[in-house]
Amino acid sequence: MSLKMKTFALGMAAVPLAGLAYVAAGAIHADAAAVTAPPAPTLAAPLDNVVGLRRLTESQYRNTIADIFGPDVVVSGRFEPIVRPEHGLIAAGAREASLSPAGLEQYDAMARNIAGQVFGEAHRGQFVRCTPADPKQADAACASAVLTPIGRYLFRRPLTTEEQAFYVKLAGDTVGNTGSFYKSLELALAAMLTSPKFLYVIETAEPDPARPGQMRLDNYSRASRLALLLWDSAPNEALLTAAAQGRLTDQAQLQTTAAAMVRSERFEQGVRAFFSDMLLFEKFGELSKDPIVYPYFNTEVFNTLPEQMLRTITDHLVTRGGDYRQLFTTNRTFMTRALGPVYQVQVKHSYGWEPYEFAPGDDRAGLLGQAGFLALYSHSGRSSPTLRGRAIRELLMCQPVPNPPGNVNFTAVQDTTNKAMPTARIRLDAHSTDAVCSGCHKITDPIGLSLERFDGIGAFRTTENGAAIDTDGAIGAARFQGAEGLGRTLAADPQTTQCVTTRAIEYATGRNEAADSLVEGIEKGFAADKYTIRSLFLRVATAPEAYQVPGKPLDDAVKHVTMAAIRQGRP
Amino acid sequence: MTRPDHNHHGVETAMPQPKNRARLIRTLCLAPLAAGAALAGAGPMAPGGSRAVAETAPQALPAPPANGVMGFVVESFPPPVIFDKAACPDGPVLRLRDAYLTTLPPAEAARLRLDRRWQAYAFGPNGSNVCTNPDMFDRPVQHTVRSPNAWGLNLSQGLDDTCPHEQFTTPTGEKGIDNQEYRAMGCTLEWRGVDGVSNDQATGMRQFHVSGEWTQVILLRGVDSLQNDPDVEVVYANTPDRPVLDTQGKWLRGASFTVSDTFPRERNVLHGRIVDGVLTTDPADIKLVATWGQSAQRDLRGPRSKFDYRHARLRLAFQPDGSLKGMLGGYRPVADVIISGMLGGAGTALVAGHDCASEMKTLETLADGLKNPKTGKCEGISGAQQINAIPAFVTDLPAPRTAAR
Repeated sequence: MSLKMKTFALGMAAVPLAGLAYVAAGAIHADAAAVTAPPAPTLAAPLDNVVGLRRLTESQYRNTIADIFGPDVVVSGRFEPIVRPEHGLIAAGAREASLSPAGLEQYDAMARNIAGQVFGEAHRGQFVRCTPADPKQADAACASAVLTPIGRYLFRRPLTTEEQAFYVKLAGDTVGNTGSFYKSLELALAAMLTSPKFLYVIETAEPDPARPGQMRLDNYSRASRLALLLWDSAPNEALLTAAAQGRLTDQAQLQTTAAAMVRSERFEQGVRAFFSDMLLFEKFGELSKDPIVYPYFNTEVFNTLPEQMLRTITDHLVTRGGDYRQLFTTNRTFMTRALGPVYQVQVKHSYGWEPYEFAPGDDRAGLLGQAGFLALYSHSGRSSPTLRGRAIRELLMCQPVPNPPGNVNFTAVQDTTNKAMPTARIRLDAHSTDAVCSGCHKITDPIGLSLERFDGIGAFRTTENGAAIDTDGAIGAARFQGAEGLGRTLAADPQTTQCVTTRAIEYATGRNEAADSLVEGIEKGFAADKYTIRSLFLRVATAPEAYQVPGKPLDDAVKHVTMAAIRQGRP
Repeated sequence: MTRPDHNHHGVETAMPQPKNRARLIRTLCLAPLAAGAALAGAGPMAPGGSRAVAETAPQALPAPPANGVMGFVVESFPPPVIFDKAACPDGPVLRLRDAYLTTLPPAEAARLRLDRRWQAYAFGPNGSNVCTNPDMFDRPVQHTVRSPNAWGLNLSQGLDDTCPHEQFTTPTGEKGIDNQEYRAMGCTLEWRGVDGVSNDQATGMRQFHVSGEWTQVILLRGVDSLQNDPDVEVVYANTPDRPVLDTQGKWLRGASFTVSDTFPRERNVLHGRIVDGVLTTDPADIKLVATWGQSAQRDLRGPRSKFDYRHARLRLAFQPDGSLKGMLGGYRPVADVIISGMLGGAGTALVAGHDCASEMKTLETLADGLKNPKTGKCEGISGAQQINAIPAFVTDLPAPRTAAR
């Protein structure tokens, strides 16, 4: 067997992990680390002090596979959804997400498929840099050389010697059945991909020297935290090396590392993931519109709505480094041919996305004037000022609105053909005369009614059932007109920036709560930096408090409990 | 040859014009009555029982965009047919089998009615057939339109390469209409239907357009007023972009299209003027090619139908709802009228039942334009296509195709 570990390490880092090479920023000298890092480090013992588990989200799983094995390795399968906690983030739900047998079956099928591609003839040359003595026989040294570094990337830390031996033995044991060294590697890799150590981000802690008796996340957990928060993917070679060298618990080096990461092109991927979570993008999966009521809504439009919002967000916040508050007033967005008819604007390119800028003062200004938001928070056949107002309160201002009671009579608002009540404002006025309803409608409808010039798919209109639409709106004491006025009001409301700060902290920690002092401190810096998203995420990623572990860790390290042990009454 | 009417700009027109104010008012007053009569099956009418061909007289037209640029996509492009019982007193054009049987004595025709011997009538010597080689067969002229009425434009005024022919009068009373293509083909089943009141051409053309096989766009530049503007640039072209339809197949307004760069000769740049809400282009060559096929490159069956008009013009009326209604008229080589049938070869004759030789004979007999100075024979035929176009965003060339990822 000939080992080419140095080449392998370079291959892993530079070819399939090319996207992770934020080393260009030069912050942590990872280019050198990628080449000279120990090829297959292992841990002598498992990391103790498990303080949390977070299941990988679908996008994190997909990004991880693409980063480790290359974007041409197809991930096909259905991901068991992570339940979103009420008024919370999926990132927080991931901390409580279990895995059903059916969900695991899906992961298993995906794992086998991925492993088959990785060690198939088309790709194996990238990952198997050693030559087995006999391709039909086991070769422990070669298997170890292949599996150990892959395991390090997948588990986001070096394998323990015990784990390394387990997967090498697994490969060796299966050669007899498969008659192929490469098939045995497939099985071992599939086993890694279905391991909870891959599917769950296992957070481990160590004593916090700054707070005697308390714990803080250790280096490898910090590497995972940084990578998932800022890039929505697994840590790359540079981060793992930094973790191995203990640099991520050093505040100055943590700051340097995180600063390089938010400057990286890959930060956009992290921002996309954050806003997809914050703005409940999973709801797009449930979106449907009545094609008779909305002839302009078709599959192509449906497919482009979330992407338009994400492009607007990332262009303003990441590419242009814009003020978060101006996300609600910006005139810039992106269009495709499919979206053109909905907006009634010219799209010059036949294919792809092109930038588009609405005229100054256009009511389309800002994220809330986009068809994606407007369609998502509407019913299938009519707009909904209530849903829109509630979404703005809950998602953008972090002000939960109670669910309506179960016995509400919605007849007045649902009958859009009643000529006596031609507009949503009139219908809602009638509906809200019920004292049971009026309490909540007072806090949602004055916001949502300002968006009534956009119908249930976000197409512009000036009348409803022939009656002129009044776009008078209010948030508390602030009065405004239309989407443009709403955007300006929201941008000026301190709740808006406080909310995104809170969400960013919750997203980072996976905890559905953020200490007021932490929010206050980070928001202060956020404001000082003119509310740029890089500033916010850098502050969240480097706040020592965000790495402090609340409560006590488990008394014992997590053990693998077998069914046989349970039957025998052994713990 | 009857004399055409001219409006005060010297443009021949089949549209009611201001100078014919009395007739215009009379027409408008009678419009509901005429529509009702047409629906009852009496009197001339446009396809669909509406006044689709006779453009609505301009009413309250909106102001044009500030930049003077307006785009449209053509949603229908059929030949205009008047479904009048008087049009084809001899009956519809015979299918090849029936045409063959008429060549036989009655008893023999009755004996062979169920026989397939008629198929031999499609073929000639050396493997020739009536559609691939129509000029090799001597077939009689087919049934033609005998009514004096047709839609179309007055094309022949001022031309010196035309041949004498009888001009039509529109159902609205406009005289001097040149549309010999209608006279030649207007009694075919494809134009008139078995029942004489349907229009397979319109159905087929609509299918062409809704499927995205062939889409035309119109781009106007320099429009200062929809009511009167003496100087408007008109780009009339194909686009490879498919129309946007709702779930019921209805065209949606406000979609974007880019002029085709595949057929640069079919990008027609014309000069026009707007008079009383009607845009008329100066006579010029207008070329359009209809591609057949659904593949991304529209090359499955390639360019099969040509609309290669000479001395052609567009006459389009702005509608209050923002759309355009009107007509394209011009002279085209006679063979172009049946070129798709000719490309179909023996199949056109045997399956579709066309006697292309008879069609060609008829077209050549009725040819009224593009006189060959050497032979003195007219090789082109006047014709018209009805145009309904809805507002769209049209990007002219040069235009990049693909934007960012």
